[in-house]
Amino acid sequence: MAGEVVASLHQTKDWQTRDWQTRGWANTGWERQGDGEIRSARREALAVRGLSKWFGDEKVLDDVSFSIAEGESLVLLGHSGSGKSTTLRLIAGLETPGHGEVVLHGRRIEHLRARERNVGVIFQNYALFPRMTVAENIGFGLRIRGERRKRREAVIDEMLALIGLSDQREKYPSQISGGQQQRVAIARALAYKPEVLLFDESFSALDQQTRVGLRREIRTLLRKLRVPALFITHDQEEAMELGDHIAILNRGRIEQIGTPEDVYNEPQTEFVATFLGAANVIEGCWRDGFIAIDCQQCMAAPRPIQASMQKAKMVFRPEDITLHSATGFVEAPYLLGRGEVLDVSFTGANESLMIRLLPRGFAGQVNIPDCGNNLNTPCNLVIKVTRTKWDARRLHLAPGDSVSVGLKSYKTLRG
Amino acid sequence: MGAASRTIPGARVDLVRPIGIGFIVAAMMPLVILPLASIFIYGFSKGPVHFWEALSSPAALFSLKLSLMTSSVATGCNVVIGLIAAWVMSKYEFKGTSALMIIISLPTAIPTAVAGFALLLLWGRSGLLGQFLEHTDYQIMFTTAAIILANIFVTFPLAFGVIKPALDNLETSYEDAAETMGASRWQAFRYVVLPSLRGAIITGALLTFARSIGEFGSTIMVSGNLAMKTQTAPLYIFTKFNEGDVEGANAIAAVLAVISFAIFSLILLTRKRLEK
Repeated sequence: MAGEVVASLHQTKDWQTRDWQTRGWANTGWERQGDGEIRSARREALAVRGLSKWFGDEKVLDDVSFSIAEGESLVLLGHSGSGKSTTLRLIAGLETPGHGEVVLHGRRIEHLRARERNVGVIFQNYALFPRMTVAENIGFGLRIRGERRKRREAVIDEMLALIGLSDQREKYPSQISGGQQQRVAIARALAYKPEVLLFDESFSALDQQTRVGLRREIRTLLRKLRVPALFITHDQEEAMELGDHIAILNRGRIEQIGTPEDVYNEPQTEFVATFLGAANVIEGCWRDGFIAIDCQQCMAAPRPIQASMQKAKMVFRPEDITLHSATGFVEAPYLLGRGEVLDVSFTGANESLMIRLLPRGFAGQVNIPDCGNNLNTPCNLVIKVTRTKWDARRLHLAPGDSVSVGLKSYKTLRG
Repeated sequence: MGAASRTIPGARVDLVRPIGIGFIVAAMMPLVILPLASIFIYGFSKGPVHFWEALSSPAALFSLKLSLMTSSVATGCNVVIGLIAAWVMSKYEFKGTSALMIIISLPTAIPTAVAGFALLLLWGRSGLLGQFLEHTDYQIMFTTAAIILANIFVTFPLAFGVIKPALDNLETSYEDAAETMGASRWQAFRYVVLPSLRGAIITGALLTFARSIGEFGSTIMVSGNLAMKTQTAPLYIFTKFNEGDVEGANAIAAVLAVISFAIFSLILLTRKRLEK
């Protein structure tokens, strides 16, 4: 453990004294440094531990902790007001400190001024200095650090080549497009070799097409440079694409951290399930290894049950549903019962449907436990379903049709 | 439908346009244009040599120089103070923000004679601050310093009034960005904020100077109007006219009018460049 800290301190030093022109981020010598043991360890570039922050009486951040490994990216995903921007500003030093630690390459920085932290921030509106040319903007960090003009120019050229804007060198920010401004903002932050890049909703001002293209470009760039990055966004698609890990923030608390696959496929809370893509969340009740939902007695629980007769929630995504003709065989692990098609709409790659689950024929005879959820009231469960166009072609459905509803997988959460 | 709504071009003559323009010109003739024109018409009526003689009298030249000097100093002070005040007021929110705003803007609403009188009361022999100067060699009232103080007071809100909205419109993220890139507060201000305010500062300075160079009411109260000592150009015009030396008054009046015209053109020019 102690050895790890020493190693990371050493890396910091190496980072700062690195030769500008001849070496990039990718071959800084860290990988060769030491032996395979260090190399295989997950080295922490940025860590936030127990971060809390009040604005007046309002607690905007509540014990937030996460870390970003060297060369990795983390996306903080949340609604506006979830505290994600505050987290970024605390890391950058733009907010008066709250409680908790911010550790950058083994160095505690939460008490430092913004300018002493050596972080790169890409702001939502890019904040390119309007009275400086593209080249002057990129060279600003080095100019402040007292770098000689010749060296500055060399770095500016290198950065411009990196972002493919060498021909825009002498333009002013107002004379280039939004996507170009975004790239200049990144180059400007990269030019002084920050220890971490912080992106504050950096894509929200761009149109959809530019955004998608730039996201891809930036992901490639970050992989190439192996510079750790933190993204702030409210866009779940962006989070999935940019993050090696995603942390979902809700009202100042982190609900879940994991890889995009993890948080999408194994949501730990209802908020995570519904925030990341569409999800059907149905209240139910545990009973003897089963979960009972409104007018249906259903399937074995996938995970050990805490106790019988406990409120639970059943979560599944629209694409987890399979639809079959009412009389046909259901080729899915679980059977949700019969349903009636309420609405069908074609959205291009997929078809999305609203299905109302129908009570089973024997509903009257079975006494369903309801945990106080009133599950025995006349059933009115409507679920969202998406099918690929191929499935839609195989079984054509229209409002009013009767179907059998199968389920490929689902999660249960405690109610 | 199409046929019914078709109008013959030129069939309906808009009379409001020529009448409106004519009215403005007609009203401005006796109110603004003719008075200004008469300065120049009268000034050169006896030939340029006469005009030059009146202008180059020592007292006239002195008054012009004094006006330029005091106005420049007052402009410099007010731009610096106005810049700092605007920065503080637009960056920080504190109790009494609006009270401070009103106080800063107050000098525009106060009659200049009242302003001069107030300064006299403050710095005069038995004034609040003046009593401390009583037994020293230093005097403020009836000196060049008094003229500068009066000019500062009267033109105080002008530079602030131009710079503050420009600062308000400036994104705060510029300063944040500069700081994350390693700049100190001062460097962020010097390299990022200040260049963005260049136009506002120039406009503010020109406005202050223009207003300052013509200041009369407060100056006559605090300066004592001593020829070759504390007599500014507007005071010189007033004094010469009272003495019956209309040519002398007229020469300086023409110069002041030209200076004001030049400054105003500059303001319009810079504003046009800024809007680009």
